Amino acid sequence: MSLVRASGSIIGTSALLLGLLLGIGAGSPASAAKAPSQCAPSALTKATKPVNIVFWESMSQANATTLTNLTNAFNSMQHAVRVTLVQQGGSDVTWEKYQAGLSNGQLPDLAQFQDTDLQGAIDTHSILPVQTCIDATHYSTSDYVPEVLSYWKVNDVQWALPFAVSNPILYYNKLAFTKAGLNPDQPPATLSQMIADAKALKKAGYGTALKLDSWHLETWLATADQLFVNKSNGRTGRAAKTAFNTATGRKIFTQLDGFVRSGLATTNPSTGPTDYDNLLGIGNGKYAMTIDTSAALGTIQTILSGGQYPNVKLGVGPFPVLSGSTKGGIEPGGSALYIMKGISPDKQAAAWQYITFLDSTQSQATWSAGTGFIPVRMSSTKTAALQTLWRSNPAFAVAYHQQVAGITTAATSGSVIGDYSDVRTAVLNAEMSMYQSGVSPATALSMASQQVNTILASYNQRIGA
Amino acid sequence: MTVEAIVGPSARRRVRRKRRRREALIGYAFILPALFVFCLFTFYPFLHNFKLALYQTSPYPNEPSKFVGLHQVGQVLSSTQFLQSLTSTILFTLMVVPIGLMLGLLLAVVAHRKLKGIGIYRTIFSSTVVTSVAIAAVIFGTFMDPVVGLLPWLGINPTPPLLENPTWALPAVAIVTIWQGLGLSFIIMSAGLQSVPDDVLEAAEVDGASPSSRFWHIIVPLLSPILFFALVIATISAFQSFGQIDLLTGSNSAYLHTDVLTYFIYQNIQGQAPNPGVASVLSIALFLMTLTLTLIQLRYVERRVQYAR
Amino acid sequence: MPAEEFALATPAHAIPPAARLHPKRMRKHRGWRAVANYLALSALALIVLIPLYVTVVNSLLQPNLIAHQPPPLFPVHPDWSAYSTAWSEGNLGVYLRNSAIATTIIVSGQLITTLFAAYSFAFLEFPFKRTLFILFLSTMMIPFEVTLVTNLATITDLGWYNTFAGLTIPFLATGFGTFLLRQAFLQLPKDLREAARLDGYGHVRFLFRVALPLTRPTVAALAVFSFLGAWNQYLWPLVVTGDNNAIRTVQIGLKQLQATQANQINVTLAGTIIAAAPLLILLIIFQKQLVRGLTAGAVK
Repeated sequence: MSLVRASGSIIGTSALLLGLLLGIGAGSPASAAKAPSQCAPSALTKATKPVNIVFWESMSQANATTLTNLTNAFNSMQHAVRVTLVQQGGSDVTWEKYQAGLSNGQLPDLAQFQDTDLQGAIDTHSILPVQTCIDATHYSTSDYVPEVLSYWKVNDVQWALPFAVSNPILYYNKLAFTKAGLNPDQPPATLSQMIADAKALKKAGYGTALKLDSWHLETWLATADQLFVNKSNGRTGRAAKTAFNTATGRKIFTQLDGFVRSGLATTNPSTGPTDYDNLLGIGNGKYAMTIDTSAALGTIQTILSGGQYPNVKLGVGPFPVLSGSTKGGIEPGGSALYIMKGISPDKQAAAWQYITFLDSTQSQATWSAGTGFIPVRMSSTKTAALQTLWRSNPAFAVAYHQQVAGITTAATSGSVIGDYSDVRTAVLNAEMSMYQSGVSPATALSMASQQVNTILASYNQRIGA
Repeated sequence: MTVEAIVGPSARRRVRRKRRRREALIGYAFILPALFVFCLFTFYPFLHNFKLALYQTSPYPNEPSKFVGLHQVGQVLSSTQFLQSLTSTILFTLMVVPIGLMLGLLLAVVAHRKLKGIGIYRTIFSSTVVTSVAIAAVIFGTFMDPVVGLLPWLGINPTPPLLENPTWALPAVAIVTIWQGLGLSFIIMSAGLQSVPDDVLEAAEVDGASPSSRFWHIIVPLLSPILFFALVIATISAFQSFGQIDLLTGSNSAYLHTDVLTYFIYQNIQGQAPNPGVASVLSIALFLMTLTLTLIQLRYVERRVQYAR
Repeated sequence: MPAEEFALATPAHAIPPAARLHPKRMRKHRGWRAVANYLALSALALIVLIPLYVTVVNSLLQPNLIAHQPPPLFPVHPDWSAYSTAWSEGNLGVYLRNSAIATTIIVSGQLITTLFAAYSFAFLEFPFKRTLFILFLSTMMIPFEVTLVTNLATITDLGWYNTFAGLTIPFLATGFGTFLLRQAFLQLPKDLREAARLDGYGHVRFLFRVALPLTRPTVAALAVFSFLGAWNQYLWPLVVTGDNNAIRTVQIGLKQLQATQANQINVTLAGTIIAAAPLLILLIIFQKQLVRGLTAGAVK
């Protein structure tokens, strides 16, 4: 009897114990091999057989195809490195899978993370800054578009090389402009001008779509050379407080508030089933103008030029800056290429070789021509591929030209924040309460500021900073 | 003639003891697979919540957590977002459960007739059982889209649009949930109605009882045990709603007041900077809510069910 | 999976019928009443069907027509390309396959563990049986979302993130199923087991050759609910799969489709029809069995 009781309890508790043992394993730091902190390109030349590296990329559909073609070209033109692409289908997925990999060890050799994951990537202590490779190989970065490169530079350390870069541009319907008595080849250059044009368009029966994307708000700040968070947007130290609760910030909120509440602009969210409504609305004549990412240009052109929308002639213009008098810049967005720290030196060297290939003049020309992303190198714009494309389709040049036209400061380079998505949600919530609940712009802005401060403080506390 | 009868009493006891021991071992062995799954994936995680809740966890797995005791629990439970999430969960449940059950019952009653072609109607009424919350959410998301949806054309076009409207987003999600659950609700109520004897209903009809009094005084009391169980299960199911919220309102859920507890928990385990410590506190809160509501229902509603019998 | 817990019914109460029939009055009432019934039935059917109808229509429209105001109510020139796009670009074929694999594993796993556990609780004696059974029942009180945080960590640590193991193993047991099946087993004649034992039937043989066939309606009901629950799972697959194709199930595939085809609404809606199709076909074929399983499974 007692033996049976014992076996019963043994079976029961062993199951529990097994569970607990696994629990002890959870949460402990991943044991990494002694990770080198220096990039050693010579490791690659010493390798006797091809080095295989795995690249987690976040592209989808046509862009993924272009990347595959580039990678195949790289693999076939040399024999030292073989790159295997793993398509994650989205930047959020890549990040989440990466975090899972930090505890279960399933990690790639290099990965493509989106712009807002920069601080997070640094804080995982698992990334080898490309600065070490730049220093080791005396790699010249003078040909890079300055703002684009500086986005991924924190505390004077270049952490990643930019790859798939875009910025917000203005999409509009030229036919609608004509109908409203506006010059179809002169899209509004400032936010005030955009609101004025919207008034004329409204009389002609067209609305304007304002997508609720915090990126746009941050870009308006950048065009006025205004910081978003302190410590130079998080680039000279960890951001701990907001920097946008200023007269400039209030000016943006006030203008947007008037824009929306006067009925001139309609908003739609940037996530969920209605996130394409602003562009769809241009197609069916509901809207005549909207701001959206330059990365969508290819898709939009294909849809709208299919002959099914006879009342639409797509025009593209630069992002309407906050004010014509202040010199600022356009905040870039997109994704960059990161090399892992915990892999062997020859794999790091191989990864470096691959990403410098992807960022070479010719590759960037092919990449930009095939996807509509901004070429990260200025020399790429002189290549035949891009010259031909821009001549036949000038819309694709708009994003690049407005990027290089701006000044390069901390404010125009964008911010580096750990919990960026929560910060953006807080700013958007304040914006929406301003539109929908009648909260005054100044109050909404300080609400946003308080919320963001709390989020920054909480993140910094959890990191142990 | 058994072995025991031949061999004698003490041997009989020994054999019996041996058989009982064998049977017990087999008994444990048979429940072991299920028990193992429960221990590892139900009991252990449930208990682990209580431990995790006391730690301030780092966003990334390879950094240590800090013991903060009940401070985090207090912080989370008193935060405005938690209170709003709790309110949203309760409101959502209050909208979905009674309407869903009543509509299912109504459909079942109306389809419980011997009319020609009733089979087609019964199939139509059960058809939403093949949809999942994901399918229903995508369908209704398009339906409610202010640019391409049917609703604006029908005149339902509030500003801001339904799924961007903090007042109307939760009812909209509730309607999607009710619609999706109609099929199953109908099937269950139909099955229950099968056991209500037809001659009772016919006799009442002949006696001049109106449809509504037949409904309230015969059908509902006879169905009350099923209604009661359906109520309990539907409530628990409402607390577990997630897919439709993720697809219809997504990351705007907090602003739109559609962040029910499950969504709030999800937001804390996925995303850019996951927070398992906070998620554990919320999980415990969800458990307590489920337990409390079930106990309340068991206590008060079941008593009325007993009376009806 | 709470749906299965609906499968309980009320015992019938017999009330002696009164009997008085007025043929003429009944006939007139019956005609008028039938019309009213059909009206009510049709109105309710419309409420249920309209969203599905709109979906099918929109899936056959060309994209520019969808955004047209007023929206067309019938596809004059149906464009079936949305379905092939959803299938190929949306990878729905792969996702359906993944859902099928995951669902099969979960359903068969649940049935097996439940059959053995229920048999043990119904027919075998062992110490702490009552306690263990209550433990099984208590799992019904712990919703899956409450265990989500740690389960994700456990699965990740075991290296099962993004694998079928991680997708299915946490669900291989069900407390309510054990309760229900034990109930059904307990209703079998007591001497049946004795007789089988004398005939030399071991436990396993008795379970599968005698007990299972005799409780087939209950087992079938369990299988149906298990299937529905597993097929329609959303939260766990969302959290535990990150890969593009190898393992994503069709429910999450819909989310992916909506995100990548956001401007091609006809494709997204075609995707939902494709995703619903397997269950729809099964419902039509097995409708009678489904209802029978629900009622029969509850007979005390």
